[in-house]
Amino acid sequence: MDETVAEFIKRTILKIPMNELTTILKAWDFLSENQLQTVNFRQRKESVVQHLIHLCEEKRASISDAALLDIIYMQFHQHQKVWDVFQMSKGPGEDVDLFDMKQFKNSFKKILQRALKNVTVSFRETEENAVWIRIAWGTQYTKPNQYKPTYVVYYSQTPYAFTSSSMLRRNTPLLGQALTIASKHHQIVKMDLRSRYLDSLKAIVFKQYNQTYETHNSTTPLQERSLGLDINLETKFKSGLNGSILAEREEPLRCLIKFSSPHLLEALKSLAPAGIADAPLSPLLTCIPNKRMNYFKIRDK
Amino acid sequence: MDSYNAPESTPSASSRPEDYFIGATPLQKRLESVRKHSSFIPTPPRRKIPQCSQLQEDVDPQKVAFLLHKQWTLYSLTPLYKFSYSNLKEYSRLLNAFIVAEKQKGLAVEVGEDFNIKVIFSTLLGMKGAQRDPEAFLVQGLILSPRLEYSGTILVDCNLCLLGSSDPSTLAFQVAGTTGACHHTRILSKSQLPSENRQGKVLWTGWFCCIFGDSLLETVSEDFTCLPLFLANGAESNTAIIGTWFQKTFDCYFSPLAINAFNLSWMAAMWTACKMDHYVATTEFLWSVPCSPQSLDISFAIHPEDAKALWDSVHKTPGEVTQEEVDLFMDCLYSHFHRHFKIHLSATRLVRVSTSVASAHTDGKIKILCHKYLIGVLAYLTELAIFQIE
Repeated sequence: MDETVAEFIKRTILKIPMNELTTILKAWDFLSENQLQTVNFRQRKESVVQHLIHLCEEKRASISDAALLDIIYMQFHQHQKVWDVFQMSKGPGEDVDLFDMKQFKNSFKKILQRALKNVTVSFRETEENAVWIRIAWGTQYTKPNQYKPTYVVYYSQTPYAFTSSSMLRRNTPLLGQALTIASKHHQIVKMDLRSRYLDSLKAIVFKQYNQTYETHNSTTPLQERSLGLDINLETKFKSGLNGSILAEREEPLRCLIKFSSPHLLEALKSLAPAGIADAPLSPLLTCIPNKRMNYFKIRDK
Repeated sequence: MDSYNAPESTPSASSRPEDYFIGATPLQKRLESVRKHSSFIPTPPRRKIPQCSQLQEDVDPQKVAFLLHKQWTLYSLTPLYKFSYSNLKEYSRLLNAFIVAEKQKGLAVEVGEDFNIKVIFSTLLGMKGAQRDPEAFLVQGLILSPRLEYSGTILVDCNLCLLGSSDPSTLAFQVAGTTGACHHTRILSKSQLPSENRQGKVLWTGWFCCIFGDSLLETVSEDFTCLPLFLANGAESNTAIIGTWFQKTFDCYFSPLAINAFNLSWMAAMWTACKMDHYVATTEFLWSVPCSPQSLDISFAIHPEDAKALWDSVHKTPGEVTQEEVDLFMDCLYSHFHRHFKIHLSATRLVRVSTSVASAHTDGKIKILCHKYLIGVLAYLTELAIFQIE
């Protein structure tokens, strides 16, 4: 087993909290039941990790096995990334083809490989006709960086894909292209919607928000949080109180306002009855479901 | 350096309102007037904007660097009875023994199975406001793990014998083991321990200080040491155990120090007023709105230069901050917000303020970012602690 692969697997396993370790290893399904039984999970973590690496070596784990483990880790820790939303559209008059997962995966991978030569692409299908894609980016001359991958969750029955905001932004156009072509669309657009919580994004984008909310109430786990609302203000200060404050200043005040709550829309709606907000509510606060945006920039006209 | 305009006073023993007023500190006067909704308008309270005090030049920036950029939980502490700075070694030994005993009782000490924790007492030179203030001191709990095993030989360079350097000004009592006998086993570490921190990793830190504590110092007898402000970083359970030992040993009492919205807005104004060469953090306010079904958090972050410009426009009294200016500053922020969102922030609860100088949370958590104004921040906190004790 390549040393870089071993190191990568080791670092991935080290990130996994001990109480999730067996679940994730089972989902990975790379080490056999027998092998896992030989591991004493009650030891100190470093010892457990060493043992697991040893077992992976026995089975000759490859980079694609390691990448799959990484995808599974990310599926369990989705909230560690901020997710953007892309919407694709077909050209006018184009037929709606039946989606073929195999063809999509082949096509997606080919497009990236042709452009960059060095790239690791891995897939994992999940329920709801979704596929998780992991891309580790390299260049024509350098090997892929496994530690800064981009993740994409594409719901094949919809025109939407969610991507983890990656540091390596120069690859975004290529990623968009690959997604569009492989899924037989014509155009791709980034929406002004982002959140750490894929479920919230899905709710907004798949227009299921009201429905999902009712079930949220009874089954919401404590950690589940809704979208936030971010508003970037760059407006001049105008006070009613005292006309002289900042009167000579030409520059606007640069502010960023964030609203967050487990149930954002409901919380905002309750502000007016509570007397905290003037009724009717400012349109900025009520347009998330309709406009499907959750960050705005406001400037003086 | 006197941070009050009003003359120093001892808290009045009488409970009559008039006596209360005459002998009261400005803080008490202000609160009394607020409580009574009285029309009596005392001299608007003022505070000096924190400046770089002379005393701060004595504080070695490197020695206090570890105090910055950490979140501290605040407590007020009543005066310590019969505490002596020359007994720090003894206190280390006693506290170590206490912790070991507690661990054996099975009470939770958050250190993990094979680790030993050792506490070290040391003084923090220069951490005071006026000369009268007692010297601040520090307690650190370190992990020592000679039994930790990695692959192959793992050795930690064990310098437990270093009983202070020959330089008397360091005053750091490095206490070795339990009875003074050292572990001479040479154990080198594979993980990079910083070379100056050879005892092990710091797991818990607590420090006691008093910045401009005149109003309290005057009221207590010589047997007491007044260090009303206590800051802790590390696991809550460790704080509890160490706090229990102090309470037993020095007949004192810890009480969590919360910071209400009124004081948070003062802090925001004062820290915005501080002159900064460059800003390391944005100026941010966080409000909590208790609405159904669950709360809403509103964060208002403003570019620090713009916050300063707004403050400068509001600020009229050179070198000082007045109640009126704080109120106007906050009202400006409220009105700017209301203009866009039609929400009355004044009807919500301010829970956190954050600037390039420091950030504070209503639950009594503080993080100091700027070495220059460390004393200034602590002075305000000492004031709050003293008020809570009295």
